Amino acid sequence: MKHLPKHLRPRWRYLAVGLESWPDAAIGRRAFQRALWYSAGNLLGDAGSADADLTLLSFAHADGTGEAVVRARHGHVDEARAAVACVSEVDGEPVGTLVRGISGTVRACEERYMGRATASSTQRDVAFGGSERPAVVRGDACDVETESDRVGATTFDTE
Amino acid sequence: MYEAVHAYPDGEATVARHAATAARQGYDGIAVRSRDALAAAGDGGPSAADRGESPARDPDALREEYGIDVVDAVEIDADDPTSASGAVGNYRSDRTVVCVVGGDDALNRFAVEQARVDVLVRPMAGGGDFNHVLAKAARDNGVRVEFDFGPVLRETGGRRVRALADLRKLREIVAHYDAPYVVSANARSHLELRAPRELVAVGEAIGFDAEAVREGLQAWGDLAERNRDRRSEGFIEPGVRRGKYEEDGC
Repeated sequence: MKHLPKHLRPRWRYLAVGLESWPDAAIGRRAFQRALWYSAGNLLGDAGSADADLTLLSFAHADGTGEAVVRARHGHVDEARAAVACVSEVDGEPVGTLVRGISGTVRACEERYMGRATASSTQRDVAFGGSERPAVVRGDACDVETESDRVGATTFDTE
Repeated sequence: MYEAVHAYPDGEATVARHAATAARQGYDGIAVRSRDALAAAGDGGPSAADRGESPARDPDALREEYGIDVVDAVEIDADDPTSASGAVGNYRSDRTVVCVVGGDDALNRFAVEQARVDVLVRPMAGGGDFNHVLAKAARDNGVRVEFDFGPVLRETGGRRVRALADLRKLREIVAHYDAPYVVSANARSHLELRAPRELVAVGEAIGFDAEAVREGLQAWGDLAERNRDRRSEGFIEPGVRRGKYEEDGC
């Protein structure tokens, strides 16, 4: 179809979203998109969700950290931010979300907020709670496995 | 802005991890609600490091490391007002912020009528209720009532609908009587923390005023500052301090 004249094209804002999860969680692009739409549908309703749009444009996740570019309609950025904040689980895996910033173009969004070099993660034993435990260490973050559960710690806790 | 968190062993992340995440999200500080997560601070005794304990339990060391304030708070989760009263008396002298977990009509009533209590947390959880009598008592005693955003962020379906309905009821009563309040996401791990702007956006989506949510987040910091001032040596009573008089005063 012939594309719209410029003044009728929707105007978009692009949200750079940082993700965090436990290191063994596998989160896929489709699962995250579904979680995002469910969250928007539940919080804003169908009408609000359609207004906000919330299409996932790019997505990357590995080793417990990830990032995504989410498209939202200009003027509905606050609703989009609220919907992103309400994503608490993807496929049963708890995730933390943080809107790093908002741009008017995908390119500006990627250049400014994306692709920050994340420290590579390593598996090693750390001293935590009085004993040696296996942990995944990524930069300052240190996800420790205890008998029953996982604990998010930092290198400050394990020194 | 401040956030109040549940830290290990009560939650799934240590105080340090909460502090690191909160600093990245733009908070000025965190209040740690868990009883065993921090060593009690601020009474002028030797710091945790001097006593040979791990610095990860010392609020001052954490503050230094992550550049945000770490407030030692405590949450009192008692079965009945009598035992809650004993616990409040025990913790008031060595914790900066004292919270009482509500969720029960008798406990809600107890918490708002005690000026020694700083915050009544989760008043509507698990069948608790709030009314105009409690709101007036909370205002008169300066007890802050918590708006718990946790279920809004993490629950789904009917439970979330009920939590939203409770939040709305609480908001209307608190706003009408001008009772003091705080806002929190009740994060149990670093993954459940949300940035202040996100909480403001969620608040707006569910009918709160953006400014009210910001004030609610700021209120934790105000509480900590007020109580630290009260526990400092020069404090005698509100408006009366021991020390040098101001040179330019008359």
